[in-house]
Amino acid sequence: MYVLTDEQIAFIRNDIRRNGIELEELQLDLLDHICCVIETEYTAENNFEAFYRSILPRFYKRSLREIEEETHLLLTFKNYYAMKKIMIISGTFSAFTVLIGSLFKVMHWPGAAMLFVLAIALFSFVFLPILSVIRIKEQTKTKDKIVIIAAAIFGSAISLAILFKVMHWPFANILWTISLGILFFLFLPIYFFGGIRNPETKTNTIVSSILILIAGGLLFLITNLRGSHAFDEAIVNADQQIVENYQLLSQKNPSDTVAIHPTINEKATELCALIETLKVKLTSSVSNDGKDMKEATAVLLKGHLTEPIQTQLFDKNGIASARLKTIQLNVKAFEKLANTKINWNAQQVKDLPLSYVLRNLNLLLLRIRILQHTNH
Amino acid sequence: MYSSELIKGTLKTIILKLLSDNDKMYGYEITHKVKELTGGKIQLTEGALYPTLHALEAQGILSTDVVNVGNRIRKYYSVTPNGKKVATEKVNEFSEFLDTMIFLLDLQPKLG
Repeated sequence: MYVLTDEQIAFIRNDIRRNGIELEELQLDLLDHICCVIETEYTAENNFEAFYRSILPRFYKRSLREIEEETHLLLTFKNYYAMKKIMIISGTFSAFTVLIGSLFKVMHWPGAAMLFVLAIALFSFVFLPILSVIRIKEQTKTKDKIVIIAAAIFGSAISLAILFKVMHWPFANILWTISLGILFFLFLPIYFFGGIRNPETKTNTIVSSILILIAGGLLFLITNLRGSHAFDEAIVNADQQIVENYQLLSQKNPSDTVAIHPTINEKATELCALIETLKVKLTSSVSNDGKDMKEATAVLLKGHLTEPIQTQLFDKNGIASARLKTIQLNVKAFEKLANTKINWNAQQVKDLPLSYVLRNLNLLLLRIRILQHTNH
Repeated sequence: MYSSELIKGTLKTIILKLLSDNDKMYGYEITHKVKELTGGKIQLTEGALYPTLHALEAQGILSTDVVNVGNRIRKYYSVTPNGKKVATEKVNEFSEFLDTMIFLLDLQPKLG
């Protein structure tokens, strides 16, 4: 049996380390193993280093590093299979729930919102993180790891942005813009310039980048998706006519035409004043300086689908809550007086976007004036 | 020699059985012993053996002993008391698996 010298052992250990084995425990294992092989097979007449080089390839398929990588994989993935299971279950569940939720939404069935929230929360906070952790462990290059992280963040952010948009929650547009920013300025550059350098992946990278660019471009295109301008205009026009008719009726002296119940006259004017004040309050809540009310109203009336719901205005301590209650009571009293139903409910107003609220109030004003002038 | 896919699925069982039967063994000894016992039909690769040994150690199934051998260090692996149970389970499971495979592949030696 050949006995290795200290220099030879040091040489082997250094070489193992140079070949990418960093775990000390593993270095010791391999060193002993290689020494055993040399002790049994080496005869002193051969060149030691050449012999060592000739037996080393027995330990791997591509490079010695494989052993270290495999060990890392097994050590860090004690719960690898549990993670995989959770990933597949959460992924399958959220995929089907999104589909079912969409069906509910399209059919206007109750529960769609809950399904969406559940599905997208699972997708963004469970499925994608686990998927990226597993994928990251499989990669060795830092660049590939960053690509995976960027892709996962983009996936989570865009899903949440869509959820926020569908639910009319605040900050949806900010989230949407950030997601697209991550896609265009973080993910795509790293992915593209990383992949294009390698001749093997060059074509694939170019094709995928084109697909991602087009998909991202399409998403960017619908960033400000709302009704067409003609549609906007039509709604604003209709609203203007309501306001004009209301103003015409307000200026008209009711006693000129018909004999009007005197209290109705009085009550109508009172009620209209109340509603007008609420309108001013609502408008000034979004207008910066409160001076340019007319412009603020115009902007408000133009916005609809993309505008978030202004529920906090009507919250218990919101600026409009008490006023809305007073108006509701007065509308009821007025209905009794005029012996006609107006069909207006303060509850409807509470959950609407601000532009809808203003429109609703305008319509109410017109109705009151019409009632006032037709009641005799 | 059998394909690496077949050996991969049984590697843990082989290691645990060997270490249960022997007090303690080092890596080279394990590969050598397996090769010897199977007449060279099963040759464990180092690339599979050491990662598995380290994983089993991390799970508390194996423990290690460090011994100076001449001018280098040798790591001996042995089964912990907890690991003995796992070893028995693994061997039993594989034995049942074998029975099932024999039945499934219709390998029962025919009588007469």
